[in-house]
Amino acid sequence: MSVIIPQLSVGLSIASILLIVALGLAIIYGTMGVINLAHGEFVMLGAYAVWFLQTYLGIGLIACLLLVFAFVGGVGWLVERLLIRHLYKRPLDTILATWGVGVILQQTIRLSVGPELRYVKMPDFLTSSVHFFGYEESAYRIFIFVLAVALVLITYFLFFRTEFGLRLRAVTQNPEIARCFGINAGLTYSLTFAYGAGLAGIAGSLVSPLKSVSPDMGTPYVVDAFLVVVVGGVQSLLGTVASSYLIGQVSGVLAFISNDTMAKALVFFGVVVLIRLFPRGLFAMRVRRS
Amino acid sequence: MNSNRQAILRIIGYSIFCAAILAVPLFVDDAYLLNKFARYLVFGILSLALSLSWGYAGILNLGQAVSFGLGSYCMAMALKLRTIPIQTGAGGLPDFMVWNNVKTLPWFWQPFHSYTFAIFAGIAVPTVVAFLLGWFVFRARVNGVYIAIITLAMLVVINLVIIDQQSYTGGFNGITDLTTLTLFGIAFDAYSTATYYLAAITLSLCLFLGLAFVNSKTGLILQAIRDDETRVWYFGYDVAAYQNFIFCVSAAIAGFAGMLYTLVMEFASPTFLGVPISLSIVIWCAVGGRSSLVGSALGAIVVTGVQGSLSETPAFLDIWMLIMGALFIFVVLFLPNGIISLVDVIARSRARHSRDTAAEPIQAAKRSEAISRQSVSR
Repeated sequence: MSVIIPQLSVGLSIASILLIVALGLAIIYGTMGVINLAHGEFVMLGAYAVWFLQTYLGIGLIACLLLVFAFVGGVGWLVERLLIRHLYKRPLDTILATWGVGVILQQTIRLSVGPELRYVKMPDFLTSSVHFFGYEESAYRIFIFVLAVALVLITYFLFFRTEFGLRLRAVTQNPEIARCFGINAGLTYSLTFAYGAGLAGIAGSLVSPLKSVSPDMGTPYVVDAFLVVVVGGVQSLLGTVASSYLIGQVSGVLAFISNDTMAKALVFFGVVVLIRLFPRGLFAMRVRRS
Repeated sequence: MNSNRQAILRIIGYSIFCAAILAVPLFVDDAYLLNKFARYLVFGILSLALSLSWGYAGILNLGQAVSFGLGSYCMAMALKLRTIPIQTGAGGLPDFMVWNNVKTLPWFWQPFHSYTFAIFAGIAVPTVVAFLLGWFVFRARVNGVYIAIITLAMLVVINLVIIDQQSYTGGFNGITDLTTLTLFGIAFDAYSTATYYLAAITLSLCLFLGLAFVNSKTGLILQAIRDDETRVWYFGYDVAAYQNFIFCVSAAIAGFAGMLYTLVMEFASPTFLGVPISLSIVIWCAVGGRSSLVGSALGAIVVTGVQGSLSETPAFLDIWMLIMGALFIFVVLFLPNGIISLVDVIARSRARHSRDTAAEPIQAAKRSEAISRQSVSR
């Protein structure tokens, strides 16, 4: 028992980061059918933004979060406006185009800031441990978990209880009819993409004190996040949440038993088998053949 | 008939290309240059393999480097075991195994004492891996976008595993210090004309066999699957089986290319299985022309050729990747069928009313419709 609780909580924090990244990706894919392979680079941008704000302006991590959301969201807005909107009819080509964007972002950072690892400091009041049912747990990991839950709730609220969410859902179901009702589909798409990108940025800033910041830190995140979307099912908020915790926990347990790499391999095999049995994901809401 | 004329022109075009690459050693004496060219040709074969799977069957394999890397490791393992005993450490163990305190040669290394097995494995191992993945993924009838992601995930996973298991695979450094392959009395040294000819002959064979294949019934069915999968299911074809087939063929060719690459580079490394090289393969194929075998090969040769002739320093490589990313986006937006499509457009605008039976029937029909509409209104 003494091994299980810490193990569960490590899995929980892996899953929470995965959830925040996957949430952005799932929103973008679910709404627009766009596969955003640059999502990992958005995470990376978030981490670098925090590093920059902390090193040059001395702003702490918590205060950075909103700024990073705005910054990475802005980058996402630009990408959507300039590039993605020309490719809605060609889903496979959006993969390529966004991969190209990811490469450009990565190389730009590498050429401007340099390829060396950068470090971000954890906020002081979160470096302590908290006693939790008799076990020590890093306060920062609890913070990540709480923030992930908060973001899911905010997203739920945004999508299902606001007028913007109503417009978004209308555009997802049928863009043409939505336009007939006077909804500005293009603007909605741009805002959604920006929101998804902003979420990725927040994930990046949260992860930055835990792992060092480097230009290529993003790729593993986008692959993992896609596996979450594949398993969870498209257009299902519940599916994304459930599958990130499933995958996160399983990864954590397997990593404990063997090592990180083998855990990744086993999770991958698990996903491949799962997709054979549930091609639409575990929580598919709509049966949509594209 | 115009389609026959197109076919003949295509065969002539391919022949000119093959003659050109086979003639290169007659004009180039420098062994170092020849080695570089051989490298570009290997990339051409790799790009051709992706074009078969992507341009003709619509399967975007973002993890093409897996087959490439597995093939190259197979060849490297065989060569390592033949390296002169002073380099392999006591008991015939490769040096990195000795450094990692491995006591006996692992079971999966044992068969690589035989070249026959190694060459067979270099093709078979990637094919089997592709078959297994394909069996799960194509049967599930997931859409093409998921396939792309899953192949990318497989690439990342296999890359990590190979680096992780360094006692068996040489880890981060790969398998280095290899002897020269000597088969049938020919020594395939990396800088010899023999290796160059091997690469050139392989590329030529792949081009012509590929051309015959895509114009065969199976090839046409695959192109139909690319254009409208559901319709082909309704016709009664087992689409998943066809997709898996071309996926495996593509993997086999890439595996062979991997073996050639080990000969050319004289080592095998996990970078051969990395995301950057897999991305590069997709870029070459997209830039050259994904639906054209010679186009994709040309794309690889030209892009790596330009890259090689400009510079090989790390700083430049970063800028080059940036340019590649931008070029990639440009090609995706404006030239979806690659640069070779420009050739097609020029050729077709000369023959105004041609009906093309080539790679993109729907697009070709629209294009020639548009051209005839233009000529009528003039």
